[in-house]
Amino acid sequence: MSAGAGTADPRRPRLNTMAGIVWRTQRRTILVWVAALAAGMIGTAAAVAGLYDTPAEIHTYAEAVTSGSALAAINGAVEGIDSLGGVIQDEFGFLASFLLPLLGITLIAGSTRREEESGRLETILGGRIARHQPALAALTVATAAILATAVLFAAGLVLEGVPVSGAILYSAALGALAFVFAGFAALLAQLVLHARGVYTWSLIGLAAAYVLRGIGDTTGTGLVWLSPLGWAEKTAPFGDQRWWVLALPAVAGLVMGGAAVWLAARRDLGSALLRGGAGPAGATRVRRGPIGFAAWIHGPATAGWLSGGILLTAMMGALARPFLDAMAGNPALGRAMGVAAGRPLDGFVAATQLYLAVIAAGYVIQAIGALRTEEADGRLATRLAGTLSRNRWLAAHGAVIAAGLLLIVVGSSLVLALTTAWSVGNTDETGAIMAAGLAYLPAELVLAGLALALFGRWPRAFALTWAAYAAATFIALLGPGLDLARWVLDLAPTTHVGSPPVGTAQAGSLTALSLVAAVLIMAGFTAFHRRDTS
Amino acid sequence: MSRSVPVIHVRDLRKTFGKVRALDGLDLSVRPGEVHGFLGPNGSGKSTTIRILLGLIRATAGRVELFGADPWREAAGLHGRLAYVAGDVALWPGLTGGQCLDVLGATHGGVDRRRRDDLIARFDLDPAKRIRDYSKGNRQKVALVAALAAEAELLILDEPTSGLDPLMEQAFQQCVRERREDGVTVLLSSHILGEVEALADRVSIIRRGRAVTTGSLAELRRHTRTSVHAVTIAEPEGLAGAPGVADCVCERADGRVDARFTIDAEHLDAAIGRLHAARIHTLTVTPPSLDALFLHAYGETLDARETGETLAEATR
Ligand SMILES: Nc1ncnc2c1ncn2[C@@H]1O[C@H](COP(=O)(O)OP(=O)(O)O)[C@@H](O)[C@H]1O
Ligand SMILES: [Mg+2]
Repeated sequence: MSAGAGTADPRRPRLNTMAGIVWRTQRRTILVWVAALAAGMIGTAAAVAGLYDTPAEIHTYAEAVTSGSALAAINGAVEGIDSLGGVIQDEFGFLASFLLPLLGITLIAGSTRREEESGRLETILGGRIARHQPALAALTVATAAILATAVLFAAGLVLEGVPVSGAILYSAALGALAFVFAGFAALLAQLVLHARGVYTWSLIGLAAAYVLRGIGDTTGTGLVWLSPLGWAEKTAPFGDQRWWVLALPAVAGLVMGGAAVWLAARRDLGSALLRGGAGPAGATRVRRGPIGFAAWIHGPATAGWLSGGILLTAMMGALARPFLDAMAGNPALGRAMGVAAGRPLDGFVAATQLYLAVIAAGYVIQAIGALRTEEADGRLATRLAGTLSRNRWLAAHGAVIAAGLLLIVVGSSLVLALTTAWSVGNTDETGAIMAAGLAYLPAELVLAGLALALFGRWPRAFALTWAAYAAATFIALLGPGLDLARWVLDLAPTTHVGSPPVGTAQAGSLTALSLVAAVLIMAGFTAFHRRDTS
Repeated sequence: MSRSVPVIHVRDLRKTFGKVRALDGLDLSVRPGEVHGFLGPNGSGKSTTIRILLGLIRATAGRVELFGADPWREAAGLHGRLAYVAGDVALWPGLTGGQCLDVLGATHGGVDRRRRDDLIARFDLDPAKRIRDYSKGNRQKVALVAALAAEAELLILDEPTSGLDPLMEQAFQQCVRERREDGVTVLLSSHILGEVEALADRVSIIRRGRAVTTGSLAELRRHTRTSVHAVTIAEPEGLAGAPGVADCVCERADGRVDARFTIDAEHLDAAIGRLHAARIHTLTVTPPSLDALFLHAYGETLDARETGETLAEATR
């Protein structure tokens, strides 16, 4: 007797049952990602189309951007940039390099290892779902979401007047980029024990891909072809239109996704290739105290974001010299980057510090989000059951997070100062670099305050902090280039810093930002003190 | 399937996790239609056995058959015929209890809607509430309702009542008995002796990855002693030295004789005869509890930690 062997057996495991479960349990995440990404991309396209509405304007932009390798390092080398599509691809280059891979990574990590780690997968697999089907269903649903994003984006581009074939190829290239990272994350989910590990390793892979693409584009070598970000670029949707390049991400994603499904069918539930061995039987004295415990919780994330900051600043610092050379040969580039004539290096530093501020703000929000996770998973109640008071618990975490923020800002700024000095051959810029880094702290604290206030008052709405972060990042990075209205630009805290050292950080604005941050932080503490914990 | 083929058949099962030997030659056999208690202290290998039976993890060595088939190779097909409640019930915090029941129901071979609604009422569940607002016990109840409502031939329940209050535990026991009336086979793992005692037809006791003993409660009790407490008018003659009698204490009180002793099952009749001869006033005979059985099975080899655990559970 062998049950379930017949093909007509209604009890046969069905993939669509599992896909239905993935959709049902993840649909909010999926819808938010797809809607936000599509809206952001179409919004950018619309703004670019409004701004560069004559061939002459597009030509000036193209002239400016193509003359410096620093911009190619950040946004990628865009073929056929002398067209509306090309300008959109360039403007969106930096954000797209992270957002599309993150789409793939998030959708997969959330529906594979996180489900396994939580124990929910055990219950699912206790039903008529085969071991390989959760991974396969997660990939299927993620692919569908990626397709939907790409289709929406292509439609938006066409509506803005981008030629149909270019719009389709560009959207397909971005979708394929997300697909590669979905496959990569699915494979990692079979190998590492925690969902957090899937994110960490995927992001390390993404950083490596970004650096490879950046070096390849600035040096003009074949390194670009080793990076999935390079593949997206080499499809050249507004240049030569190499459709066949789409096969590279498609095959890479299928191979990694296939390997993930293959492994899932053959390994023990709950197992991992990389897993921690036994640990110490007792906690050290330091870790038992609230500060030491908080430092232990936030340590890995701090190290991760610090690595990101150092990677960015080291790369930019090393490109300072080539950038100066390009500026000397082309004043239009300065105008394109909003850099005042005569002080090109200041403009370069200002742009880098803005990116660093985005990284630093991301860190604080994630760290405060970790407090919410502690609470939601019930560990906060355990911590507070003893003599530790709520406010001391929160204050200890706040102090550790603030120290982490300072470490990331000062450490990365120092790296920028050192690499810039090495690249241009003098230390004239060092003071300005450090001062600029510190000037962004109040703006970063405003976002931290928002996160803390939501955590204190409406903990279940914490995801809104990420929405605010995404909007602020979008405005800060793309707003000035897209000539957004003044009041829109003012919504981003970083706008009020005044773009030092190319502009001057006004003491009044910084004080105002600090006050807003202080009020939000205090509101967070007060509300947390009063509310129930869950 | 003929009645003689066991629903679960495990021989010499071994499983190692790196250096940890979780199962070390386990034997287990569950017959169709019985409630089989799977009893052992924490860490003895119950959940590991169940995960292997479900094909969630792969046996290192040994033979495992579920409905006569290999659960690793045919896991999903076999699961259409059973329902499982995991030891640590984890559900989706953002879904309501009712939505979770639907999601779990989709993974089962079929769901009896009427029974489901009936179970929701009996377990006093609010299906419109979100999982994150449920207590641990209520989350457990969602998983139990999903499993008990499934059209299954076999229920595999891993420590199912760990979060339930006594009232709900009663409801649970009643539901399991009803499922057994319907012909469903049940494998019930527990480290709580009372729970298994109330439900199980047969019991397997596992310790450190091996089955220590297995059999019906009656069979297992044969190896243990019954306690007798009698008050008689006259002094029972020769009781202390009678065959099978131990721990005998006789005291005079209020002109009567208060006798307490333990006795093995086969000599009970003769001992009661002696009490009868001394004219019985009151008589209490207590069969050995599973607690005693558990201690017996563990014999003198109990180490201090396990003794502590077992006794702590026994006094629950
Ligand atoms: N995935 C795993 N990795 C390492 N050790 C494990 C794993 N799963 C179980 N064990 C070990 O196997 C033994 C049996 O565990 P388990 O089956 O969960 O016991 P029980 O359910 O009876 O409490 C324990 O010592 C446990 O630590
Ligand atoms: Mg267990």
